Amino acid sequence: MPDALSYDRVALRHAGAITDAVGPVSLSLAPGERVLLLGASGAGKSTLLHAATGLFPVSIPGDKRGTIRLQGQPVDSRRPADWADTCGYLFQDAGVTLAGFTVRDEIAFSLENLSVAAAKIPRMVAKSMTRVGIPQSWADRRITTLSGGERQMVALAALLAQDAPVTVADEPAASLAPSVGRRMADLLLALGCSTMVVEHKPGPILNRIDRCVALGRDGRVMAEGAPRDVLHQHDAALAEAGIALPLATRLHLAMPGLIDPRMPLQDALACVPRSRTERLRDTVLPIAIPIGEEIAALDRADCAPPFGPVVLRDVSMSLRAGEVLAILGPNGAGKSTLAACLSGLLPPRAGRRTGAPGAVAFQNPEAHFSRESVRAEIEGLDIAPEGVAPILEDWALARVADQHPFTLSQGQKRRLSLALLAETDRWPVLILDEPTVGLDGAAETALGRRIRVLARQRRGIAVITHDMDFALFVADRAVLLDRGAVQSDCPCPALMRDTARLAAAGLLPPEAAPILDWLEAAC
Amino acid sequence: MSNPSVWTLRETLIIAVLGAVFGVLYLGWVQAWLVLQAIFGPVTMDVVMGFWFIVSIIAAAIIRKPGVALVSEVMAAAVQVLLGSPAGLLLLLTGLVQGAGAEAVFAATRWRRYSLPVLMAAGMGAAVFSFAYTWIRFDYGSLAPGLLVAMFALRLASGALLAGLLGHYIIKALYRTGVLSGLAIDRDTRAARA
Amino acid sequence: MLKTFHPLPKLALCLAWIGASLVVFRLSFQIALFAAAMLLLLVDARIPPRRLLLLMVPFALFGFGFFTTSILFRAEAGFAVQMAQEQGGAPDVAPGLVLFFRVLACGMTSAVFVLTTDPGQFVRALMQHLRLSPSLGFALMQAMHMVPDLRAEMLQLRMARAIRLGGTLRRFPVPGEVISLAIPLLAYAIRRATRAALSFEARGLQPGRPRSNLPQPPIRRADWTLLFLGLGVLAATAAIMSIQAA
Ligand SMILES: Nc1ncnc2c1ncn2[C@@H]1O[C@H](COP(=O)(O)OP(=O)(O)OP(=O)(O)O)[C@@H](O)[C@H]1O
Ligand SMILES: Nc1ncnc2c1ncn2[C@@H]1O[C@H](COP(=O)(O)OP(=O)(O)OP(=O)(O)O)[C@@H](O)[C@H]1O
Ligand SMILES: [Mg+2]
Ligand SMILES: [Mg+2]
Repeated sequence: MPDALSYDRVALRHAGAITDAVGPVSLSLAPGERVLLLGASGAGKSTLLHAATGLFPVSIPGDKRGTIRLQGQPVDSRRPADWADTCGYLFQDAGVTLAGFTVRDEIAFSLENLSVAAAKIPRMVAKSMTRVGIPQSWADRRITTLSGGERQMVALAALLAQDAPVTVADEPAASLAPSVGRRMADLLLALGCSTMVVEHKPGPILNRIDRCVALGRDGRVMAEGAPRDVLHQHDAALAEAGIALPLATRLHLAMPGLIDPRMPLQDALACVPRSRTERLRDTVLPIAIPIGEEIAALDRADCAPPFGPVVLRDVSMSLRAGEVLAILGPNGAGKSTLAACLSGLLPPRAGRRTGAPGAVAFQNPEAHFSRESVRAEIEGLDIAPEGVAPILEDWALARVADQHPFTLSQGQKRRLSLALLAETDRWPVLILDEPTVGLDGAAETALGRRIRVLARQRRGIAVITHDMDFALFVADRAVLLDRGAVQSDCPCPALMRDTARLAAAGLLPPEAAPILDWLEAAC
Repeated sequence: MSNPSVWTLRETLIIAVLGAVFGVLYLGWVQAWLVLQAIFGPVTMDVVMGFWFIVSIIAAAIIRKPGVALVSEVMAAAVQVLLGSPAGLLLLLTGLVQGAGAEAVFAATRWRRYSLPVLMAAGMGAAVFSFAYTWIRFDYGSLAPGLLVAMFALRLASGALLAGLLGHYIIKALYRTGVLSGLAIDRDTRAARA
Repeated sequence: MLKTFHPLPKLALCLAWIGASLVVFRLSFQIALFAAAMLLLLVDARIPPRRLLLLMVPFALFGFGFFTTSILFRAEAGFAVQMAQEQGGAPDVAPGLVLFFRVLACGMTSAVFVLTTDPGQFVRALMQHLRLSPSLGFALMQAMHMVPDLRAEMLQLRMARAIRLGGTLRRFPVPGEVISLAIPLLAYAIRRATRAALSFEARGLQPGRPRSNLPQPPIRRADWTLLFLGLGVLAATAAIMSIQAA
């Protein structure tokens, strides 16, 4: 039986670019195999996936060398749309997977195109909504009135309905709350599916992966094999290449000989001497900063998304100078809505917002782009000309400085949008909406440090995230939103140890939870 | 790809959304026109008319295929009808006539040239067609010849400037946003540079 | 009732009434049509009155242009007079007033169609009954879904701009701001079209390939009845008006 998908010495170059985005690489996906593609941001993972059915270079202009085969046939032998019966896509941006219709029309769309008997379609639509956990009452809602994570769920439902034998999925779980992410993995990576998946945070899906391929910064394969072997044998090289590693492996790298990455973290911690408490705490928790006066507050506010109904009622909370606040909650809890209100950009429907004006780094980074190149965006920040190059360097954007912001990879877009806010001191209040989505390991660590530096400059910072470890690493305090209200407002580590409360909101404890327990016992 | 004059999916979608956005903008422009008309009198219509041809110029200049100017203008009219323009169905006919005027000019260049003079000529083409149409509709024959000449000249100028020239600047601004990459205008610009 | 009314006869009926409103240049007719449309929207489509009022703002402003021309400037706009003459002599009252109500009447009649019709159902009806090509059909559907999103996108652009320039967000945009947002808004539309094309292609929409359609309600007898009832009322109204005029 031929491979489900195979790349033979493939190198891809975007139109107008002077270097290849990726390659030459050779890799394959056997029938029934689940392959994880790892690589730093900008390594060319998405570009490789776009080429799987020939969307690149037919619809996305560029040059291709080498051959790609789907189920043994060269992809160029059919037009991209003809491959829809063979290969289904989950693009990195749900806004590309979906076309912007109503939920029902989106899910029915590929069925109609595949000429499925009309009478069967409604049942199949309902079934894939149920499998993903989308309420049937959403059928008539338009995609643009859904939250970021809810869109991702609809995209998955549309993909499941298409029922193609081969699937390529680009960061499918990045903007999903952990429990929904787990369901996504169950559906996408069930035994027997031929799936190629890209993920920066592979921890939760690692036990469903058969093989793992890591791309280096040069766009070539640097390691390949069973996932645990790759992660353990090449840990230093992977870290060097910017790829995120599981916590235990990171601890092993930071404190060699102390923690055995092959053991469950709890057991490995049992042999750690008490003298290392400080060191261990600093790897998972932030260094405390004295907290100052209140700089922004909501008083009994009702928050609503633009032109939408009120989704959060009677919210009272405050943000202090020098404090980092994590805003957590399941998909659709109203976190992005709260961000707009807390920043003062949108007035609450009822109640009051007081304090200094704030800025939001939007969940969709593209919302911040307004100029024709990355460099021009940074230059627009009113900084001295010699200050531009260091900023580009700091945010790892120097290589793409002359590219148009909209042609960046997802992680590069995210870094640019964050740089545009973090590099001015105009805003005493900063709210970052899912800043880690799309970031690779190196960029995420750098961002965590950066947030603490900003806090030390007496800003008030709120971070909305689904990544509990990141929240733990940057935040002093956490607010949990669920069912239209604030469910808890307490120090971040305390919430992270409250498994029951997290589970009630569809969240899971962080990977570092055993360390919290260990620290608690040690003190 | 095989037949260069067939619209691709992306092009079809762009024509539709441009029609939709300009449909909305046109309705806003009617507002401006009515205010101006109240102040400056009836000739204002000829002065502001050019803006209502602009979508055909913009769509044609970025896609560069037969039929684009015509369909985008009709699409904009259809969106206005759906949004509740008081001119109602008649607007579809208006759109058809105006689009045909611009299309005729592009057809004369065999859909090959889209320089600024051609765009301005297309705006004037639409002006000529629309003038003929309003002549029939509002019985211009009864007006004084001097006034008619003035109205015609104003409308031509409006077509050249508000549709052709303004369209040209909008296209340039859009080109800078990068959204036109991969479309005919982008290919031609790159080819010209190389 | 209106939501289950098949889109095509509904469109025909709405267009017939809009057509009539263009031809019958009488205040009473325009007001009656306006009131009927409002009643349908309130009672049948259950649109909240607040939303309906908001919806009327652009039409009212629009109509106001005709109205002010005739009242404030104490002169009939050439356009209004032309319209009046074109449509059979001087009307009973100020043409500006008639035009004002005509704008509202046509606007609300269109709203009856737009607010009670699902774009997906409408486009599929066009594809099934009038042989609209799928790529044009879905392009039209995209455009219909995009128009209501423009408002939210505009707000998003304004928020991003306020963050960039360091100002606070005004409640309503000033004209200068609107003009500076025109290009970003157009860019948004084209970008959205480009993405939709990618999405269509990845999910197998191919011109010329056979495709099925989500089952649509057929045109039933009730739809025909409703259509002829509506046309009948229109004919009766027209007849009464012409008798009165005579
Ligand atoms: N249209 C384009 N023109 C020029 N360069 C491009 C274009 N699209 C992408 N690139 C560049 O190609 C490289 C690979 O991009 P790609 O999106 O494949 O990265 P990725 O591995 O998916 O990264 P991420 O993890 O951030 O999503 C990046 O450096 C990007 O800037
Ligand atoms: N325009 C709208 N009309 C109606 N409902 C809306 C609209 N916009 C958002 N909503 C709903 O409001 C709720 C909150 O949305 P919001 O974007 O704030 O969620 P979120 O917590 O940021 O979720 P996510 O983690 O998925 O981004 C969601 O249930 C969403 O469906
Ligand atoms: Mg990517
Ligand atoms: Mg959100």
